[in-house]
Amino acid sequence: MIVDLEPTDDQRLIAESVGGMLAASLPVARLREASGNGAQPENALWSSLAELGLFGMGLPEEKGGFGYGLPEEMLAARELGLVLASPSVLAQMAAAHLADDGLRPAIMSGEARCAFASLGFDGTVWLYDGDAASHVVLLGDGAALLPRDAFGNWTAQVPMDETITLANAIAAGDLPARDNVAERISLLIAAATTGIAQAATAMAVDFAGQREQFGQPIGSFQAIKHSCADMAVRAAAADAQVRYCAITFGRTEDDRREIAAARWLATDAAIENAKANIQVHGGMGFTAECDAHLFLKRAHLFSALGSSRREEERRIIADAD
Amino acid sequence: MKLIEDPSLDRFRDECRAWLNDNVPRNARPSEGLELRAYDMAWQRTQFEGGWAGVSWPKAFGGRGLSVLEQLIWHEEYARAGARTSASMFVALSHAGPTLIVQGSEDQKSRHLPAILKGEETWCQGFSEPGAGSDLAALKTRAVIDGDHLVVSGTKIWTSYAQGADYQELLVRTDPDLPRHRGISWVICDMTLPGIEVRPITTMTGYAHFAQIFYDEVRIPMTNLVGQLNGGWGVAMTTLGFERGTGTIAHQIELANTVERLITTAKETYDRATGKSLFADAAVASRLAVLRAEVAALRSLTVASVSRGMREEIPGAEGNIPALYFGELTRRVNGAVIDLLGPGAMARGGSHNLPKAYLESFKWAIGGGTSEIRRNTIGERVLGLPKGPRAI
Repeated sequence: MIVDLEPTDDQRLIAESVGGMLAASLPVARLREASGNGAQPENALWSSLAELGLFGMGLPEEKGGFGYGLPEEMLAARELGLVLASPSVLAQMAAAHLADDGLRPAIMSGEARCAFASLGFDGTVWLYDGDAASHVVLLGDGAALLPRDAFGNWTAQVPMDETITLANAIAAGDLPARDNVAERISLLIAAATTGIAQAATAMAVDFAGQREQFGQPIGSFQAIKHSCADMAVRAAAADAQVRYCAITFGRTEDDRREIAAARWLATDAAIENAKANIQVHGGMGFTAECDAHLFLKRAHLFSALGSSRREEERRIIADAD
Repeated sequence: MKLIEDPSLDRFRDECRAWLNDNVPRNARPSEGLELRAYDMAWQRTQFEGGWAGVSWPKAFGGRGLSVLEQLIWHEEYARAGARTSASMFVALSHAGPTLIVQGSEDQKSRHLPAILKGEETWCQGFSEPGAGSDLAALKTRAVIDGDHLVVSGTKIWTSYAQGADYQELLVRTDPDLPRHRGISWVICDMTLPGIEVRPITTMTGYAHFAQIFYDEVRIPMTNLVGQLNGGWGVAMTTLGFERGTGTIAHQIELANTVERLITTAKETYDRATGKSLFADAAVASRLAVLRAEVAALRSLTVASVSRGMREEIPGAEGNIPALYFGELTRRVNGAVIDLLGPGAMARGGSHNLPKAYLESFKWAIGGGTSEIRRNTIGERVLGLPKGPRAI
């Protein structure tokens, strides 16, 4: 099997149009005001995102989709990560694959609203940015699309990532076994997580090129330069693996292992790069007014979407049992 | 991003596989010295006779002239067939040969290119010096023009496979008064010339794979100059392989195989205290899982690099990313082997000489550009960060 990982002209165009729209509508700076308010800019943008075709992008035309494949969908998911878009946007993309024929049109039009929820170890379900949602994409080992009210009452919690809301409830039943759709969703999460890692790198590099100490930009010092280089390498590794999976999905027997590797690498890159970005920013990086902490909190949130590094490690090694 | 489906490439893969299956040497490769050189040259000769010499070289110069994708397939099949990378032929095939093709005179090309392809001559590199390692432009080995000869005095170091090498790609300072990058020339040095002394250096593995070389008024004909006098820095920096990143595929596959072997070994090795396999230990399984993920990432980074290489005229600085990743990961993988197998990993010898592989792995984060220099290059030339202090 031979894989070309360079985007085609078409794919580049899709990434640019999604990325351009997101960068204009959802600058990361919006999140400074977002504390406790949930993802209001995203909510206001929902119909535009639906019009852009984001919510049916990877569906075949006979299901009302655009007939693009996983590579295109993956590129769009990465763009979402770059602007730290609410996980609910990705949940809506995921839901299009889980919905039955009856519900799918409402998902694609944005009329039904989705949010991600994770099944915790103890049976607690954690809902992220779900205040406006009618449906929940529940992630554990498998994935399911359920009405939000299937869980009874949600109890609001104070989130580590205060730019989105958090609530919990008790699990209503068992999740279906992990299938191809769950794998696909996991890869999209890995793609968005990679976007977070790339954006943290860009922010650190930008600052290191401007901030002066000892009479020169701190990026000229190797301690900072090498930290930035390591960020770029981690992001590149995750990105290459995510792209590889997007192309080979469904064509090898190694999907589960390869996607678990993608998820592990993306999580590692996002969290480690977010930490390094805070460090590069020094005292400013520790403040609430610097955006650096937003990347860290969002990276942890994405790492916990139905998974953890420990669980991905188990999947990576599972066939060796 | 797409799957390349081309039946002619499938047929090509079958052709590679069949030929390699029939022709890869099955006898053990000697560890060092002239026996190793003879082994590598004989294998090169076999490849030449089979029509597989210089897979990345243009056809006009006797190479196989494979496309980047065909090279990718060749190197994958090469590693899968268990063929060893031909270390003593490396400089000739991947460095000196391509440099001569681009920069050499007609006479230089006709003299050396066929001989390299046939496995009749091996080359070594003469770039680094005791005082010029990462800072290569600090090199001091002098070449004074005397009539139609260059008279070379000085020393080179870390020269791999220097013992028995026929020729050397040698960087010398031909004008000490010019700015340091400009007074350098690239010459072909015949290693049998009088005044050359090769002093082997034993590495931490215990083998003498490289050497320091001393030049005492060695007379090299001016006709051996490649490119312009004082233009050697440019020649050295444009010493581009035609491989576009495919040459590292074999190393990457070997590393993946090492991880898979380690997983198998961990399953088959029992801890007497617990009665369980090493693999049943969650900490061991976790470490192996991470290595497997990282080996997958290395494969994907390599594929990404080759995909870029298909479109680039000149390979960019991005090539440092997979190279840095490979160097660091190789050390982690081989370090894990030693860690996990405990007392049993301390003995040298046997079919898997674990200490040798472990000790050898340190070179990948040093040779050909240290990890630190690669991080500088990524920082400055990929990310655009300001340059650090350096000599003019």
